[in-house]
Amino acid sequence: MNGKPKIGVYVCHCGTNIAGVVDVEEVVKFASTLPDVVIARNYSYMCSDPGQALITDDIEKLGLNRVVVASCSPRMHEPTFRKTLLSVDLNPYFLEMANIREQCSWVHEDPIAATEKAKRIVEAAVVKARRLEALDVKEVDVEPSCLVIGAGIAGIQAALDIADAGFKVYLVEKNPSVGGHMIQLDKTFPTLDCSACILTPKMVDVANHPNIELMTYSQVEEIGGYIGNFDIKVRKKSRFVDMDKCTGCGDCAEACRMAGRFPNEFDEGIGMRGAIYLPFPQAVPAKYTIDKENCLFLTKGKCGESPKCQEACQAKAINFELEDEIVEFKVGTIIVATGYDVFDARKKPEYAYGVYDNVLTALEFERLVNASGPTGGQIIMLERGKKKKKKEGEEAEPPRVPESITFIQCVGSRDKSVGNEYCSRVCCMYTAKLAHLVKDKLHDCEVTVFYMDVRAFGKGFEEFYDRVRREGVRYIRGNPSEIFKRGDKLVVKAEDTLTSTPLEHETDMVVLSVGLVPRSDNREIIDLLKLSQSSDLFYLEAHPKLRPVDTASDGIFLAGVCQGPKDIPDAVAQAKGAASAAMIPMASGKVKVEAQTSVVNEETCRGCGFCVQVCPYSAIELVEVNRMGWPVKVARVNEALCKGCGACAAACLSGSIQQRSFKDLQLLPQIQALGVK
Amino acid sequence: MVDIEKLREIAREIISRDDVRQLIGYRQGTYGFRARPAFVTDPGEVDKLIFSPACVNNLATYITLEERLPVPRGQEPDLRKVAVMVKGCDSRALVQQMEEKAYERERILVLGIPCTGVVDMDKVEKRFPGVLARGEIVLEGDKFLLTYDGKEEEVAKGELLADKCTRCRYPTPLVYDQLLDEEVARFADDDYADVEALEKRSAEEKWAYWEEKFSRCIRCYSCRNVCPMCYCEDCVLDRLNPQWMRRSVDVSENTAYHIARAYHLAGRCIQCGECQRVCPVDIPLMELNRKFYKDVEELYDYEPGTNAEAPPLLSTFKVDDREDFIM
Repeated sequence: MNGKPKIGVYVCHCGTNIAGVVDVEEVVKFASTLPDVVIARNYSYMCSDPGQALITDDIEKLGLNRVVVASCSPRMHEPTFRKTLLSVDLNPYFLEMANIREQCSWVHEDPIAATEKAKRIVEAAVVKARRLEALDVKEVDVEPSCLVIGAGIAGIQAALDIADAGFKVYLVEKNPSVGGHMIQLDKTFPTLDCSACILTPKMVDVANHPNIELMTYSQVEEIGGYIGNFDIKVRKKSRFVDMDKCTGCGDCAEACRMAGRFPNEFDEGIGMRGAIYLPFPQAVPAKYTIDKENCLFLTKGKCGESPKCQEACQAKAINFELEDEIVEFKVGTIIVATGYDVFDARKKPEYAYGVYDNVLTALEFERLVNASGPTGGQIIMLERGKKKKKKEGEEAEPPRVPESITFIQCVGSRDKSVGNEYCSRVCCMYTAKLAHLVKDKLHDCEVTVFYMDVRAFGKGFEEFYDRVRREGVRYIRGNPSEIFKRGDKLVVKAEDTLTSTPLEHETDMVVLSVGLVPRSDNREIIDLLKLSQSSDLFYLEAHPKLRPVDTASDGIFLAGVCQGPKDIPDAVAQAKGAASAAMIPMASGKVKVEAQTSVVNEETCRGCGFCVQVCPYSAIELVEVNRMGWPVKVARVNEALCKGCGACAAACLSGSIQQRSFKDLQLLPQIQALGVK
Repeated sequence: MVDIEKLREIAREIISRDDVRQLIGYRQGTYGFRARPAFVTDPGEVDKLIFSPACVNNLATYITLEERLPVPRGQEPDLRKVAVMVKGCDSRALVQQMEEKAYERERILVLGIPCTGVVDMDKVEKRFPGVLARGEIVLEGDKFLLTYDGKEEEVAKGELLADKCTRCRYPTPLVYDQLLDEEVARFADDDYADVEALEKRSAEEKWAYWEEKFSRCIRCYSCRNVCPMCYCEDCVLDRLNPQWMRRSVDVSENTAYHIARAYHLAGRCIQCGECQRVCPVDIPLMELNRKFYKDVEELYDYEPGTNAEAPPLLSTFKVDDREDFIM
């Protein structure tokens, strides 16, 4: 199949993108003089149908067996032209792209020098084309199942779509309940739907769906394999409560000696819980969990005469002997929907979060206004960390209601001083929503918002912002510089930048509109899946425009805020996108694997294992072979796992690993042609 | 100092074992007080073994250098252990070799020599011309004692000590099965003063400096052959297809060779200094190696040959790895 090379060179104008700078006629004339070049042509758009037809016609009529396309980056159109070759039964790996756009015409102004450079690039591609080898494209079967990591709204939606389509889904959630951040919210903007009311049906669905295996309070520990055949290991952390027996009655939590002693994570620490708890009433599954860090029996080995929860549980569900369970299974695809953290407001010490009781984050405020929250939805002044010891017969003081509430936007977003340059996309609107909710509940409460500028870009957003302002919420443009206390009041020091007036604004309560940041435990998933991060440290999609739910690794997709800040409809849309992307390989049942893989020369390999270490896909292992009677270890590549990144070839000191299509003997003449003689 | 009788007794015991194939140690050379490697396979030969400040060679090299001839059909390969005497610096070569999976720990038996320093023969020759051929040298406290032509000379230890010993961080071997003497505490440290001096020069000065040094190279490959870390069975430099550098001895090809050699040792060189010692044209190869060594230590907090369990430096990647030096 390799035969004597007969090369066709096709120089693309790309409209004026290339031809505006590079003299394409001149490049064609030059290319036709190169050894083994049978035909050289130029055309306005090689990627167009007529452009591709030029190539296929020449292959058929002139018997070309190598094709050089001088156009854009191979990242752009290499797949296009590979298909062109394949359509006339020429091995697609007999294609070589010469990038004379990104690496030439786009970056040079002098037409003469640019044309000379284009010639060098084309010559380099031609000499490489002469040495190209036909490669086999292999296919592997795809396991018809998907792992979804994270059961917030994105993970839930993706899981439901895939399960509804008839594929098996393993939905893994770290927390005791599904629901993510969305279930913590009170209302959603701009429609003011009750967040829990629209989410709980979906939460119940994922728990009951015949195609979904839900694993809560669980963590993915190991991921091996490749698209179609991922090997997954999940640790189901012990709740010390038998999931089959627990009825969710709550007798145990009431009985717990430590009841009400620990901040409830779900309520952002505003509400309290015991050592055995249900994070919130609608939790799915409605099963109790013992917090082993705080349980008296599990930490001290003793809880009075006997653990109160165990006594209270009529179903006999509590079992302190229960251990973590490791579950292993195979999936074909993976969707990462791990969500986000909110910005740690302590990183902006000028706002005195953590110093004054009534400086809250917006997520804490969500719990405060929430009817299922610790105050039953009453907006009251907080007294944090104070243990209220009620004396016998003493009436509890009625809670104080704030007379004024001030919101500060862009806390931890659009702020280089904390390393977050990006806009979190949701804070403007959730602030407007929370301001509205305050006005709704406390008509006379004075509500002020300090903002940089209001970004009300979505459907119905601007209208909602207008409505909130009409309700009497006062917007002041200016970024506060300090919050301090004067008597009973908090003072927000700022400048109204529209009137250039410095001001000190007195208020009872400050709500910080904290931005969305990548999860602090992002690293765990990155290490498991070898994901990349963008500069904002959210997970990086394969292409910002055209592959927004894919990752660089085949078969692994992103959904929700783990990829970047977005609101609920965007997260749901991306989840549906990720679900349908994941279903493509599962529905077709087969997937092509990389052909430009690495090969080891086992004769010269010295078995040092550098390649094993550097391989980001765990595609290489050391195996023992017999070398002239001696047992030696050598590297061996699993071709189904190899993605052809070439890291191993670069790391190999003895030059024993070569990557197909990028072998030393293919690259060196190419380098020489570029002028390094 | 190592008790020679004890050394020989231990060696005899080891070489008599069924699972030991040979012992690599030191013996008197044929030229004055120089020492040379000894390959002992028979208990009768152990009386040749010595250890003195003249035992400069790094014997770790021989473990990987040994040719493995094809095993005749019907025979089993001889997989018995090889015993080897190592000083502190040499032991790091063993550690690094094992880090790179050159062999398993069980394959070797290590006789560790806590080392108080070896002499630099060039310094001896310079100070006492011609004496090398007919004298004897011992270390007594902080002085070297030279005996020749019936005369005795005392020289301060520092004057004849090999450069590497003046900055030795690991005088006691980091890996051993048996230690031949009391442990020696660290008596020196490395401040990289020499490297820093070189770093201060301008690019032009550096180029001129190395061009002169490399122009002397006769491409004898002694530096490669003696290096305990150069042990690929088929060295890329020997290949003809592709040929990475031509055989011709000229400053361009010599420079390519030395750059490749130094790069292949980055994060691997354990500073035994053997390459520079054996260079017949006095190219200061350790200056190159030490520059890499310093960079690796400063950038990645990694010292080659100190932890056989650690993954080799250049096969690892951390997100917070320093990269500000990348152009």
